[in-house]
Amino acid sequence: MSENLLQIKNISVTFKTRHGVLKAIDDLSLNVKKGEILGLVGESGAGKSMTGAAVLGLIDPPGRLSSGQIWYKGQRIDQAPETIRGHEISMIFQDPLVSLNPLRRIGDQLVETILTHMPITKAEAVDRARKGLEEVGIDPERINAYPHTFSGGMRQRVVIALALAPEPALIIADEPTTALDVSVQAQILDLLKQLCRERGTSIILVTHDMGVIAETTDRVGVLYAGRLAEIGETRDVLTNPKHPYTKGLVASTPRIDASSFDKTLYQISGSMPKLDAMPNGCAFHPRCEFALDKCRIDRPSIIADRAACWLLDGEETLL
Amino acid sequence: MLIIILRRLGQSILVLFLVALISFLIFRFVGNPVDNLMGQEATLLQRAALEEALGLNDPLYKQYFNFVWRAIHFDFGNSYRGALPVAELIASRLPATLELALTSAIFALVFGVITGIYTAIKRGGFIANLILSTSLIGVSLPTFLIGVLLIWLFAVELRWLPSFGRGEVVTLGWWTTGFLTISGLKSLILPSITLGLYQLTLIMRLTRSEMLEVLRQDYVRFAKALGLSNKQVHFNHALPNTLVPVITIAGLQLGSIVAFAIITESVFQWPGVGLLFINAVYFVDIPVMSAYLLLVGVLFVFINLLVDLLYLAIDPRLRDSQLNGER
Ligand SMILES: Nc1ncnc2c1ncn2[C@@H]1O[C@H](COP(=O)(O)OP(=O)(O)O)[C@@H](O)[C@H]1O
Ligand code: SF4
Ligand SMILES: [Mg+2]
Repeated sequence: MSENLLQIKNISVTFKTRHGVLKAIDDLSLNVKKGEILGLVGESGAGKSMTGAAVLGLIDPPGRLSSGQIWYKGQRIDQAPETIRGHEISMIFQDPLVSLNPLRRIGDQLVETILTHMPITKAEAVDRARKGLEEVGIDPERINAYPHTFSGGMRQRVVIALALAPEPALIIADEPTTALDVSVQAQILDLLKQLCRERGTSIILVTHDMGVIAETTDRVGVLYAGRLAEIGETRDVLTNPKHPYTKGLVASTPRIDASSFDKTLYQISGSMPKLDAMPNGCAFHPRCEFALDKCRIDRPSIIADRAACWLLDGEETLL
Repeated sequence: MLIIILRRLGQSILVLFLVALISFLIFRFVGNPVDNLMGQEATLLQRAALEEALGLNDPLYKQYFNFVWRAIHFDFGNSYRGALPVAELIASRLPATLELALTSAIFALVFGVITGIYTAIKRGGFIANLILSTSLIGVSLPTFLIGVLLIWLFAVELRWLPSFGRGEVVTLGWWTTGFLTISGLKSLILPSITLGLYQLTLIMRLTRSEMLEVLRQDYVRFAKALGLSNKQVHFNHALPNTLVPVITIAGLQLGSIVAFAIITESVFQWPGVGLLFINAVYFVDIPVMSAYLLLVGVLFVFINLLVDLLYLAIDPRLRDSQLNGER
């Protein structure tokens, strides 16, 4: 579990707009280990989807990866991301209703994907497609059905089958259950988790739901305003958050046992800064009740492999 | 599927009756048929006799149904000028117009879709921008000016192509075709470009904007994320979704190509129904005008029907929702 599959090194994603250059991702670094489920959590606009898009080289213009490197299995991939798409890293999008081509049968989409990556015959590909459907709990007899004949949950199962079909080592799942009925969310997450565990496939699970993080992930990264605020083992981060923003997130999540700290202490007021009005120093300082003078001037980087917060600076020296 | 087709057919027939009504009203009330047939000097008695003979004293609905009944049997009366049966006049002119319209439609569709896809995929590229700005000039020039410019360049200056007429035609039954002779084909080129250029730019812009829209869709990003090649993404996923609306609009444009042919036919002295109509207007030849309008109406309805059916054949969602009776 300790071998690094994916390494994101100091990446920035920028947008050239009329109002100048906006930084949607600002100097972000992350590792994904073999077989692990890494959660990425943060409020809307924090840069979660952009991070996933950056790994696969799917950032839409005018956005672009303006600095940093991405490494996969010891090879740099950010200059030719199309070489790893599908059979090494694939992706699941938020809304299954628009993830499938409406004009093509699900079987055609599966067979096309399989044949793109595997040197096998059409008949063998059809076989694989049927197996793939069966694994995600869809009757293989429906291989010739069109996407619109399935419910949202069933379509997300088809999407999972498609994402797994080229046998990737990593799947980036961008809020895979946010658009679904609450009643099927857990089923889909369990299915994804089970299938990936069986295959040893890693997952980057993007979500804004701390409950999902707690139930599904091994490690979690907390994003705030395009920067990594905190990262660590999910249990540690949830029971003993170091970054004031994470503390606020945990405190405002009812499902998590919060007896270890005072709930009322960490309610987050205010809102995440807009990209064109990013404060100096720590991006969280206007909302942080612990903010020091230093926080307004100097930007903290990740300290003690855990959180980007000057409060840890003292802790570290104390240790 | 059969039910849908039958329902569409029913709707079309209804629309045709409406078109026939308009055509009938023009026939009956624009100008006075009796004046046109007898001239001003006829006596009142003579006029009354003719009115009775033409059925002009019957109740209006009866006249209308008479009109429709005769129209179904291709009987539109005689042209005021030359007294030839209108149906014969039109039948002799129709092949010219249909061949011209078909050629321009294919020209517009093929080049419109190709340039539309190209300018979408190579968005911002030099050639793509060049095509786009050139097309702007194309849309802003009126049809007759384009025709005259083409004649000046290719017929007068370069002397490559003829500037008027259909060239030699081959007779096949009641149809005359220019597709089978060199001079016929050469004669088609300039008028087809003139007639199709506007539709071409329209189809190109539509294809381009639809394609750009489709390329932003999640299923396209998903197809990319699954490692499909650009070619697969563009042609297997983006293109079919782009073509659904493009075909609808392009199909409907076919009708207006026939209608717009009037101008092109005048510029190139093309012996089609458009030229016939212009002359009919000039001489207030009401039966010809009314028959022409009915013909264009029928063409529009027929094309609409075809486009609808094509649409059903392409889009599985529509097919199913139609079967379930929702719209
Ligand atoms: N085309 C664009 N131009 C400018 N900013 C953009 C564009 N697309 C996305 N962004 C910005 O990038 C940031 C990150 O977005 P995203 O990754 O989608 O957030 P998340 O997935 O965490 O909700 C947001 O602040 C968003 O406003
Ligand atoms: S660095 Fe300062 S402002 Fe930022 S979270 Fe830590 S204490 Fe708060
Ligand atoms: Mg997102």
